[in-house]
Amino acid sequence: MNLPAGSLLRKRVVAEPATALATALDRAVTGYLRLAPPDALLFEAEGAGVVTLADGVPVVAYHTGTDRGGPVALGDMALPGPYGMALHELDAAALASVNETDAFRVPPGMPAERLAGDGALAERTRAAAPATRLEGEQAVGSRTSAVEAFLDDEEKIRSLKARARAEARERAAEWDF
Amino acid sequence: MVEALAIASGKGGTGKTTSTLALGMALAERYDVTVIDADTGMANLLFHAGLADVDTTLHDVLAGSAPVEAAVYDRHGLDVVPCGVSLDGFRDADPTRLRSVVADLATDTDVILLDSAATLGSRAGVLPVVLADRVVVVLQPTIPSLSDGLKVQEYAAAYDTGVAGLLFNRVRDDEAIDRIARKAEQYFEGPTLATVPESDAARAARRAGEPLLAHAPAAAAAAAFEEAAATLEVRESPSDVVADRFRRAVIPDSP
Repeated sequence: MNLPAGSLLRKRVVAEPATALATALDRAVTGYLRLAPPDALLFEAEGAGVVTLADGVPVVAYHTGTDRGGPVALGDMALPGPYGMALHELDAAALASVNETDAFRVPPGMPAERLAGDGALAERTRAAAPATRLEGEQAVGSRTSAVEAFLDDEEKIRSLKARARAEARERAAEWDF
Repeated sequence: MVEALAIASGKGGTGKTTSTLALGMALAERYDVTVIDADTGMANLLFHAGLADVDTTLHDVLAGSAPVEAAVYDRHGLDVVPCGVSLDGFRDADPTRLRSVVADLATDTDVILLDSAATLGSRAGVLPVVLADRVVVVLQPTIPSLSDGLKVQEYAAAYDTGVAGLLFNRVRDDEAIDRIARKAEQYFEGPTLATVPESDAARAARRAGEPLLAHAPAAAAAAAFEEAAATLEVRESPSDVVADRFRRAVIPDSP
């Protein structure tokens, strides 16, 4: 997925992806949100998650590391946090080809539910979404299957645990515990 | 004989403090239980336990201006050691004293529950996990929460702290939780102690300044915490061994 940089509205490290999604929604940003581990060295370079936005509402999700799109990409970009977040504004026309990739599409509320576990934000996002986008959104069922898919991904969890273990050991040495 | 358990989740919002007091009250039916607010930077146990107006808290003890006994309150069948919320209190508190406070309390109780900070990013935040024999990991059935929980487990393992069990809290989807818990158990060292439904009663209890099991003992969430306590196998070590370990644990930096 190649997207022009557009204009960078915000770039910072956030504890929760909910912060980034809520900012995009409140400002009705058309463009995209890039989420990645804030410290590529500590967490190794594993690519970044991209969520495109139309008037603040998520349209497609894609992960550059796994080269997967759609709901499964949201699982790829879920991290223990914090996240390095960049919010780009981009003309709708520049996003059109990406947003029309059906396989990459996600229901409007799904990023808030899967990345942030934030039901209220998901609800607010759905309320802001055009009616045509709400067809096929399965609130509870889709959220559940995402968690199960995450837990079925043994390799991803193994690597998550290994990273945490390395970080814990590093910190223990640093803190002299 | 005593076992120290850290109630931890790695991030906020999972209901650690509600869980700590609920587990404590349920365990108090069988054990002598002491609950300590080990989240010295963002204390809230006092609000949950109706102790918002007390004069002496853990902060005073950590500042060296009060003896431990002065910060222990007998509430709801528990010995509760709340922490204060003032920035001054936090600034004056010396975390190096937490070890000896816990060591002193360990000599006269069966179970110590350490309500832990919602962060693994500082020495003081990790200290309860370092001091405890085992952790109870409080989870919500979401990807971020499960990721955080796994991180807590790996941190705990780095300090030879085991996992006593998993507590799925604030669960909304009853049908899926059994499948999720079963899958999650493959990655965690401890069993699922209980799945606790999202509960208006827990919010009402917090507003009333009462632990859930005192405010709404008949609520489904309260019953789930009772089940968790019944499932939890407390392993008691000789008090002097535990007290000694606390005293030997490494001193964290001042905030």
